[in-house]
Amino acid sequence: MSLKDQINSMDMDVIVEMCINQEQQAIDLYTLARDQAKDESSRQKFQELVDMETVHKVSLSNFEIENYIELPPADLKVTDYLIEPELKGNMTTQEIIILAAKREDKTARMYQDLADHFHFDKKLNTFFQMMADEELRHKHDLETEYENEFLQEG
Amino acid sequence: MKRERPQSFNKVPMKERLTIPRQVMPEQDATVRSGNFLEVNLGLTPEQAVVEAQRCIECKNPTCMDGCPVNIKIPDFIQLICNEDFIGAARKIKEDNSLPAICGRVCPQESQCEEVCVMGRRFEPVAIGRLERFVADYAMQHDDGSEEIIEKPTSTGQKVAIVGSGPAGLAVASDLIKEGHEVTVFEALHEFGGVLVYGIPEFRLPKVILRKEVATLEAMGVKFVKNFIVGRTMTIQELMADEGYDAVFLGLGAGLPRFMNIPGENLNGVYSANEFLTRSNLMRGYEFPEWDTPLYRAKHAIIVGGGNTAMDAVRTAKRLGADEASIVYRRSEEEMPARNEEIHHAKEEGVKFMNLVNPIEFISDDQGSVVAAKCLRMELGEPDESGRRRPMPMEGSEFVMDVDMVVIAVGNGSNPLISQTTPEIETNKWGNIVADEDGRTSMDGVFAGGDIVSGGATVILAMGAGRKSAIAINEYLKAKVRS
Repeated sequence: MSLKDQINSMDMDVIVEMCINQEQQAIDLYTLARDQAKDESSRQKFQELVDMETVHKVSLSNFEIENYIELPPADLKVTDYLIEPELKGNMTTQEIIILAAKREDKTARMYQDLADHFHFDKKLNTFFQMMADEELRHKHDLETEYENEFLQEG
Repeated sequence: MKRERPQSFNKVPMKERLTIPRQVMPEQDATVRSGNFLEVNLGLTPEQAVVEAQRCIECKNPTCMDGCPVNIKIPDFIQLICNEDFIGAARKIKEDNSLPAICGRVCPQESQCEEVCVMGRRFEPVAIGRLERFVADYAMQHDDGSEEIIEKPTSTGQKVAIVGSGPAGLAVASDLIKEGHEVTVFEALHEFGGVLVYGIPEFRLPKVILRKEVATLEAMGVKFVKNFIVGRTMTIQELMADEGYDAVFLGLGAGLPRFMNIPGENLNGVYSANEFLTRSNLMRGYEFPEWDTPLYRAKHAIIVGGGNTAMDAVRTAKRLGADEASIVYRRSEEEMPARNEEIHHAKEEGVKFMNLVNPIEFISDDQGSVVAAKCLRMELGEPDESGRRRPMPMEGSEFVMDVDMVVIAVGNGSNPLISQTTPEIETNKWGNIVADEDGRTSMDGVFAGGDIVSGGATVILAMGAGRKSAIAINEYLKAKVRS
């Protein structure tokens, strides 16, 4: 059964729980990477990612669709053409940001696809659109940070 | 307290001063200089310097000093030039800046002292940088520096290690030797000067000037040790515990090149700006085969970036004999961080500017050498946090161009060696050392300043940070004696 078919047969609470689990998986991954990081700068960046995903997880637990205002951030596409690095212990901060931005991009696309698929169901459509926007916002923030630090063009 | 200014005897009435045009810097002809590595700007003549100095309107509340990161007494030294006391003017600058011949050449005065010059509100600002350079060069030729060298203070018996001989390290050395401390500068490379020697080409900053500045410091008593990598040859802990240094200043700079992380960056013929410029500047690649470091003579060299490093690299590629040398920059010329003078000189020398273009892949031949660059055209969107309009890729705008040399000049980071070998020193997520405004780090007796703290910045800002640290180190050493 495809993901879309599964979602079609789920209650809203279960769908939210599934998305919370997704966030928890990201938190677990970044926590593991933080603990394996070989230098302080990488540890700090992974911790920031853990914090970012934790905030999202908590907001999902408390979300109300009625309060959602659609404000999609711009997709800066700064990291779209860059090589995706492997998650490993000795990553540079530059690699970590590229990796995280690409993960946010993929997740945003998945949620956008689900939002588009459930265009006929206002509740599901709005929920997935909100998720897609949030992931894109994370990508936007990471790419802004990337531009400021790694594309100084000196 | 009111500052006493030198009285001028070459007084020009105020109205006349406003009509004096800014003196034009004599320079090598563009067609000639694009084939040699000699300095482009030739320096003002004494006559020009006096005329330019006479343009200063002696503001009651001069703002120029506020624009200088080390607060050089600009109105005072300009008045001394009016009086034709060029050595006096150079000594006046040296009270605040130990490297005037260097700063007169590479400081971005147009965004510092000259930007806030009152004259500049209606007319062109006084050419403060050119005057600084003139008197510094004049003093190098006519002043033996004996005043500085003879006035040796009583020795404190306290030892300071300075790691890195770039602008921050040299500024600290200059200030602390005058306090009577025993100062040793440790340099990882085989020449002193840091980014001034490996990063800035001969045609913008002749090495002889740097060597003279280092020689003056040596004559003042500073010891210089080269080929010494702190963190490898010896750690900071060993310097302090085994070698008896009472304090350490870290002025390592930002020497770790950053890449774009696009496919093909590891191909032959793709350089970081650091490697390319080091091969040419430090290893004298432009004198191959007399010197044994080779450099490509490209048919088409592209340099990715829009800062001063990119301009240095593209003009170097041109001088090395590239048929075509181009800047590839993802924003427009308006957003370029390079100095206007450098952009102007590059254009005069035949450099091509491909703005609003971003490489996304480098393509190789079957030998692993770069033969082409796949690029995207960009368009400018809304301003970003820096205030510059943000470049956005244009859908379907991909194109491929032939290139046989690429230099990546998108910025530098800090070398992780110190943070890896000295975990007591706190670093931030970019790997820069965390220090307070006086340069104190998290390790007792260890101070840091310049690019290793701030990230890539200017020579004068690094010197300013060095001077602040020197004051803090001096206080630290005095307190150590008292305790």
